[in-house]
Amino acid sequence: MSPPDLAPTEPILAARGITKRFPGVLALDHVDLEIQAGEIHAVLGQNGAGKTTLMNILFGLLQPDEGALYLREQRIRFRSPHDALARGIGMVHQTRRLVSAHTVLENIALGHPRTRGFLNLRSTRLEVEALGNRYGFTVPLGARVWQLSEGERQWVEILKALYRGAEILILDEPTAALTPPEVKTLLAGLQTLVRDHGVTVLLVTHKLPIVMAVSHRVTVLRSGRVVARLRTADAAEESLVQHMIGRDIAFRTMNRSAEMGRPLLQVEQLSAFNDKGLLALRGVSFSLREGEVLGVAGVTGNGQEELAQVLAGLRPAASGRVRLDGRDVTRLSPLQRWRMGVGYIPAERIEVASIATFSLVENTALNYHFDPAFIRRGLLDNAGLEQLTQRIVTTYNVKAPSQYARAQHLSGGNLQKLILGRVLSRNPRLLIAHLPTQGLDVEAAAFVRATLVEATAEGAAVLLISEDLDEILSLSDWVAPIYEGRFGAIIPRAEAGAETVGAMMAGVGMKEAGVR
Amino acid sequence: MRLGRYELTLEPRPARPAIFTALTAVVAILLALALSSFLFLSSDTRLIDAYRAVFSYAFFNPHGVLATVHRSIYLLFCTYAFLVPFRAGLWNIGLPGQVYAGGLAAFAVPFVLRTHNPQTLALPPGLLIVLMIAAAAAAGAATGGFAGLLRAKLQVNEILVTMMLNSILFWLVAYMIKEGGPFMSATGEGESFGLPSSLHAPLLLGVPVTAVLALCVAVLLDLLFAKTALGYRIRAFGENPAAARYGGIIPVALSLLVFLLGGAFAALAGYHYFAAVPGVYKIPGNYGYYGDLGFYGIIAALIARGSSLGAVPIVVLFAGLSVGARFAQGELRLPFGVDYALLGLLMMTFVASHVLYHFRFGWRRIPSEALQPVPTELPRG
Repeated sequence: MSPPDLAPTEPILAARGITKRFPGVLALDHVDLEIQAGEIHAVLGQNGAGKTTLMNILFGLLQPDEGALYLREQRIRFRSPHDALARGIGMVHQTRRLVSAHTVLENIALGHPRTRGFLNLRSTRLEVEALGNRYGFTVPLGARVWQLSEGERQWVEILKALYRGAEILILDEPTAALTPPEVKTLLAGLQTLVRDHGVTVLLVTHKLPIVMAVSHRVTVLRSGRVVARLRTADAAEESLVQHMIGRDIAFRTMNRSAEMGRPLLQVEQLSAFNDKGLLALRGVSFSLREGEVLGVAGVTGNGQEELAQVLAGLRPAASGRVRLDGRDVTRLSPLQRWRMGVGYIPAERIEVASIATFSLVENTALNYHFDPAFIRRGLLDNAGLEQLTQRIVTTYNVKAPSQYARAQHLSGGNLQKLILGRVLSRNPRLLIAHLPTQGLDVEAAAFVRATLVEATAEGAAVLLISEDLDEILSLSDWVAPIYEGRFGAIIPRAEAGAETVGAMMAGVGMKEAGVR
Repeated sequence: MRLGRYELTLEPRPARPAIFTALTAVVAILLALALSSFLFLSSDTRLIDAYRAVFSYAFFNPHGVLATVHRSIYLLFCTYAFLVPFRAGLWNIGLPGQVYAGGLAAFAVPFVLRTHNPQTLALPPGLLIVLMIAAAAAAGAATGGFAGLLRAKLQVNEILVTMMLNSILFWLVAYMIKEGGPFMSATGEGESFGLPSSLHAPLLLGVPVTAVLALCVAVLLDLLFAKTALGYRIRAFGENPAAARYGGIIPVALSLLVFLLGGAFAALAGYHYFAAVPGVYKIPGNYGYYGDLGFYGIIAALIARGSSLGAVPIVVLFAGLSVGARFAQGELRLPFGVDYALLGLLMMTFVASHVLYHFRFGWRRIPSEALQPVPTELPRG
């Protein structure tokens, strides 16, 4: 591949001084981004770094609070994606935006300026076929979208953008839902588009191997700021990792007794499929003792959700085994596991861990409706649940108008404290905490962390799944970076450096199928 | 919606005082009655006389009151049949089919035991009546449970399955009672054999025992949902299935259970109308009319917002108005179908009042700076 002209020429698309605020969050802070014509430009960053916000601004979905966009050095303003499309910028979103009951051709024609009013699918078909021939790829135009694989759907979206006349393609996490062979096809196809047809590609990802494999230049975002702008050829993986995770990690190691109890949980070669039927968890093994914390560090979407759900009994294991206290629990139901002392704090506190229209007391009952201590002849012991809720509200400092207020009126932090308190009130022997401090303010997050430490002091084993490396390193006895459904290693805390763990989270030193 | 410098929006209503609930219901009823004036226009009588005919027959005439009571019991069971799955977030649209299944199973008991001939009663009649009720409930539960099982195990949409079952059972009844079918009456075609008088459901104060059953269930269902662990699980599953599963509730068992219950209730409605209402005691040729009437159970359950006791007055109103309007139709030569039209109007005003119960109209001036055209910068050159 011939590298494009990397001399400081005029960029085809530039964002200068872009700032975007959301309530309480500075999503982008004076971000500059310059894209040269005919290159693959990668925007690298962890979740929450501001990548998607920036792309949405480039595509006209969001308006910047400050700063401006320049197309071929002319200042432009996009009021909607419609304007961006009219200027030759196409976007392929992380989630598909196709009508699955329609054919590929109908989807491509949908929304095209020429297909307003009368639909002339025959001429559209000829044009799209010609376009496909020119770019050298074929998509079954007559097939219905639901019949296609995820990789083929992505090509439909790319073709649709090209048919709209896109010369600049923005792809947001394009490999997130693809199988390894599909990733390989996608990356090869993108390289062809850029090399032979002068298309410019802006690739948004948190996967370092993909950046290294195909991009010409890379811009690294962290916490809404540009922290590095490099030619990929000049960039070392290690330095990119450092830029991505930052060097300002403050260690606030919690003081904990080092005595470890009996072995409690053994996980052997555990694999599981995600909702799309792809193998998302690929042979994970570990064991955990009472009073121990295993921190699973990784960017969301690398199999953590599946791991937590399999352990909680909410998702079947594809293969492998889970043993609790020596007993094989792989096939037990969630209810049986609750009874055995497994406590689960899901990441989705509103969607899964609580019922918005139920009162606090009724939400407490979610973990107690099966408990003989709270049932008398089939009737729920409401007085007992009320007392328990009161105790949780007081102990965990949950701010709520009353015990009979609906959960939907609680702030995220207070809801999380209620859920944490409810699960911990069962005195679980194994606690699975998935993103327990996500979205919480500093004070609430510190409280939640301290509570987790307290639980271990009482003998609970904790599986902490988090994206926050700081949190993982300060709480865990063992650190397991997870990438593409595999643990990179299981490292004792004392030996776990932020760089090593961060690199493994980004897939460095691990095989990425389809790239290498 | 934007109107000049003002903006009209629907906004969620924050606080809802209890009196408001009753008030919206009353307004909805009055509005439906006012709208129904159009139905009476074609007749020669004065409007006020038309309304008087409807109400006096439904609620004051001895025959009319009994008809209202019988229809209320029927509709109450249909309401429960929809309400129980609905609290679990599932839609039982199969009320007619489950009603037919109940009727067929109840009549199958004397048929199979060859006791529809009064001379050959093999078992004590009391036991036979209990058997008929049990058979009806079991058949309805099986019909409902079929949909529940498909839903739980294979994620087949319960609305489609129950709708299809309606059609299947409608024609099954036709096969059984018409054109030489097994249950066909010896005398007339197009209806089933009549039950011998010993198998008529006993009457209390002129009202069949099914009334007691219907009222008891009204109390028990509200208690079930408010107080018991099972009711909690059903509600939790209805409000948030993912959270319910997380909390250890087994979706398959729960979906099946609510449909078993719902189907059994609808079947009891069928038992009531075909085997307990004085003067019927057979599956009549126009059984389809009662099947369709069952859909008003859905409306009653929705208006009562899932409360079985709350549904009682609504059901009585529906029953009374449909009975009264049918009577007035004959008496005053009103247009055909005025009873269903009245129920339809009532349904629409209730549904509309629900929107106003949850939302209110917001009417505000748009600040002038927001109206200014968005500045656009065109590329130079």
